[in-house]
Amino acid sequence: MSTEIAIRIINFTKRFGNFTAVKNLNLDIYDKEIFGLLGPNGSGKSTTLLTMATVYKPSEGDIQVYGKSVVKESDEVRKFVGIAFQEPKAMWIDKPIEILTWHARVVGYGSFEARRVVREVMEELDLWEHRNKMFSELSGGNRKKVEIAKILIQRPRVAIFDEPTAQLDVIAKHNVWRAIKELSKEGSTVIVATNEMYEAEVLSQRIGIIYKGELRGLGTPDELKDKIPGGDIIEAEIEGVVSEHLRGILLEKLEAHKIDISNGKLRIYVNKGEEKIVPALNILNNLGVKVKMITMKEPSLDDVFMFFTGARLGD
Amino acid sequence: MIKFSREDFRQLYLLILYDVRKIFRYKIFILMRVAWFTVQVGFFAYLITAVVGQRFGVQTTYYHFYLLGAYTSILFTITMFRGYEIAQEFEEGVIEYMLSLPIKRRILAIGRILGGSISSFILSLPMFLIVIILLGGFEPIAILSAALSAYLFSVGIVGLSISVVFLLKSGDVTDIAFGIMDSLLVRLSTVFYPAVILLSFLPYYYVGVSNPLSYLADFLRWIFYPSELGKYLIQDDPVKILFFLLGFSISLTSLATIFIERRVEGGGWK
Repeated sequence: MSTEIAIRIINFTKRFGNFTAVKNLNLDIYDKEIFGLLGPNGSGKSTTLLTMATVYKPSEGDIQVYGKSVVKESDEVRKFVGIAFQEPKAMWIDKPIEILTWHARVVGYGSFEARRVVREVMEELDLWEHRNKMFSELSGGNRKKVEIAKILIQRPRVAIFDEPTAQLDVIAKHNVWRAIKELSKEGSTVIVATNEMYEAEVLSQRIGIIYKGELRGLGTPDELKDKIPGGDIIEAEIEGVVSEHLRGILLEKLEAHKIDISNGKLRIYVNKGEEKIVPALNILNNLGVKVKMITMKEPSLDDVFMFFTGARLGD
Repeated sequence: MIKFSREDFRQLYLLILYDVRKIFRYKIFILMRVAWFTVQVGFFAYLITAVVGQRFGVQTTYYHFYLLGAYTSILFTITMFRGYEIAQEFEEGVIEYMLSLPIKRRILAIGRILGGSISSFILSLPMFLIVIILLGGFEPIAILSAALSAYLFSVGIVGLSISVVFLLKSGDVTDIAFGIMDSLLVRLSTVFYPAVILLSFLPYYYVGVSNPLSYLADFLRWIFYPSELGKYLIQDDPVKILFFLLGFSISLTSLATIFIERRVEGGGWK
């Protein structure tokens, strides 16, 4: 991953009347990385992305895209940025082929090239057969594909996808993920806003967790998981007794947060479990506890999200 | 000094194309307007002319006066319809999409105004032709001057409607505002009543002589019937009328451009 900063968000706050959608956000996104912005509906993801794309103006602070300010140089910023909106944007009477050809022309293709690239992308997304239907006649998934197609045609330096696979079936979802990864390989900086943990994990090199307009966590998926105290669970099926002495050694040597024993299963809650599984096995063997099986379980991104936001199911 | 690059002109062309290509989706709208206009100028215009003729003895003169007023009125209504369309674009989120495109805000504003005014003028062309035929005025220079002044007027009205929609950011309030503007501006003008008649009620007169519809209608009257209708105009000097129209379209285009360039952002649509 490059260390050149593509997007710098500086003390960014956005208010709509009395409601503050994003509060004092500071964040750097690196050149050519796929960055996942993870948060529930209404957390401020879209507001941040729309400001990055110069659709909104910051109430306070600034966002710089390759050194250009969205406040002072928005015309310049838009040369770098393309956004696929959460809700597909088109008039109900428009036809996909017209929407995309016009888009291709606006983002710089000549007439002939525009027709070629539009056909290519529409075929890639299985949209070609729907090209002459009215936008209002398309299914939710196909409308979403039209929105995604705009960015795949544009191939901007900064590609923003706001919930790119919402409403898509499994095959289409994987197609879009593949296309997003290809875009990144070609050199685009990609930002994906999502409320699906799995999508964030599959796509992103780094993830920012945003909740109630504030950035609550930032790092690679592994770094975020490691930040949960005792997030990794080493689980061993054992024969023998775990004495208080052994428990103390395990707690001390493995820097464990907690140890549970029930039904012949020993659970050790640690961080960086992958580095501690062998030492755990050695300690148990050395102190006469027979280990029949040992495994390690990482926390899911759901656990990560709950940990960083403090949210609970039903919130 | 404003500089436009080749790319700016290309995008301007694409924005104009965006609006103009929509014309073909309004076949029913055009048919209905043409049908209603034909009834208005082919039937009601004769009736009202007969009434006016009995009272003032200026039968033919009033028919000519009425025809050019009726065209001004329909052009205004069609052009204001742009505002409703843009309001709908807000509802569908198309405005946010346009704001995200790699187009300079100034070019976006000018492109939408030019596109809106060209498409409005094209939509009004059948009515324009009906009026020309009924007037029997086939002088190319007169027709060209009338078309240009009508287009100039459309530019100003599109600038006005875009500014109103972006300022209000509400579908309901836009509907009400445009309904009021449409009904008041047409009535408080010299579109159907000459300025000399409005003089009998001064507040009405003052509103009428500051109304852009009065200026277009009277300018068209001067183009086709300078001697017959010249005495009923709001200004003796047609050049002053033309300058008013020019000032009106330039100022409202500038207002809409500055507004879009400096203040407009997505969201907040009610």
